[in-house]
Amino acid sequence: MTPNIDERLASIVRALSEVILPHLPPEASLAQEQVQLCIGHLQILRGQIDAAPAFEREELDDAVALANQLASGITGGSATGTALASLVSTVRDSATATDVRSACSAVHEAIERVVQAVSIDGDTATKARLSEMILQHEETRSLKDRKWCAPFGFDTL
Amino acid sequence: MNDMESINRRILDRRAADRTLPPYRAALIPEIVALLDGFFDKVKPGSRVSGVRRVGGGASKEQFFFTLKDADGNAEQYLLRMDPRRAITETDREREFVLLSAMAGYVPVPEAAWVDAKGSHFPQPAAIMKVVRGVTKPSGSGVKVSGLGTWLGEKLRPRLSDQFLDHLVSIHAYDYKAKPLPGYEMPDADPQQAARWSLNFWRDLWRIDEGKTRPIMALAEQWLQDNLPDCPPENLVLTHGDYRTGNYLFDEETAEITALLDWELARIGDFHEDVAWVLMQVFGTWENGTFRASDLFEREEFITEYERRSGRTINRQTLHYYDVLSSYKCYIICAANGLAAARSQHNHQDVLLTFLGAASPMFAGDLVRLLKQEVPA
Repeated sequence: MTPNIDERLASIVRALSEVILPHLPPEASLAQEQVQLCIGHLQILRGQIDAAPAFEREELDDAVALANQLASGITGGSATGTALASLVSTVRDSATATDVRSACSAVHEAIERVVQAVSIDGDTATKARLSEMILQHEETRSLKDRKWCAPFGFDTL
Repeated sequence: MNDMESINRRILDRRAADRTLPPYRAALIPEIVALLDGFFDKVKPGSRVSGVRRVGGGASKEQFFFTLKDADGNAEQYLLRMDPRRAITETDREREFVLLSAMAGYVPVPEAAWVDAKGSHFPQPAAIMKVVRGVTKPSGSGVKVSGLGTWLGEKLRPRLSDQFLDHLVSIHAYDYKAKPLPGYEMPDADPQQAARWSLNFWRDLWRIDEGKTRPIMALAEQWLQDNLPDCPPENLVLTHGDYRTGNYLFDEETAEITALLDWELARIGDFHEDVAWVLMQVFGTWENGTFRASDLFEREEFITEYERRSGRTINRQTLHYYDVLSSYKCYIICAANGLAAARSQHNHQDVLLTFLGAASPMFAGDLVRLLKQEVPA
């Protein structure tokens, strides 16, 4: 059996905290700050590492759900039509993608092209619908992301 | 080509060109000593450099304190600010130097002593300033990354708030027509140019740094493009660009603000841009459900007091636009600029920049909240 990843990370944290950090001279402020950040970052990684593949998969699934909603609920002129066709094709490709993060980025980029296209030839009602769909999606999605990043301590979530 | 201030176009061109440069390494103290010795041999012969030490904190520049003793034996403390190869913000040392020189005696600023804007002597562009006494946060307030959300507390808050606001009002009242700022251009070709210059700069920076888009960023960018506010000429002021607690020094005993810092994003623009930045939630604190901007003012209190002291009227629609633009900028800074610098190994604190990247979902959440709001009347 290979060594457990969490135990390996824990041993790195301990070495940084108890061996390296105390031996840094007081004037080495940058080194001290960076070691502390490394320790904090590694601790957060320990908490996230097992859940990361599922988190990224869900991010892709959420993006695809929004894309499908846009594809069926948005209409417009030729620019919008072209962007929607590209979105549908990107979603289709994502179904067999092995690189989940790249697939998610590709769907997001295709959604961005739809937003830009609707601004060119979409009517007012379509623009409002598009905005509503994205805001609804992102209200949920950004909350998931904020919770994921909460251990970093920036958010007042 | 997108319309923007000439200096910002040059900054973006430099940012794009620098992408392929080799990795950057944090400077070592003996290297900085040698650089300073060589520099002062040229500009202040007979002087001696000593006590060089790195300054902690901050997410942008490499900074070092040192003492300079002149030929007559007079010693003064200085600060060297040197750009890494790429930073979380991309700015220009010459421009900052011009502004600090103009602000001297007008509002409290560090005295700009020397600048090497092109990195002719130092390996990177650098500026040297006189050290000002003071702290950016109360002693014992704990470690916070990059001064975000600094807690000032009940004792300091009332003693700092008037100064904080009055200095901002003074900056906005600076008569840049009578006392021009070399290199600072006026966005007055049409009423929307002030907002457009800002949006174009940040949007192009996002593209250059290959920010990974997400639906709310696409929507926000389009909304910002479609809703550019007019800026009447009287609203065009000198803006600080990063005015908040964490970017000024104060004396802990007297609570006097001794220096306003980090002027690198200053420009001539719409005063609403600074007001919105001050009101950003990330720079404030929450206590029992109450938000305080920069831990000094509740939102409406700040708006009312700013209007009263400046004699200006805050247009709520314009403020809303700049609220959205502020969150858009913050997302770009954390999710694109910092990560690009770290990815290319062009910074001295990559681990800090990737850590800060985790703040980006908070700004995505801000954009959702703001774009869901009814546009204020």
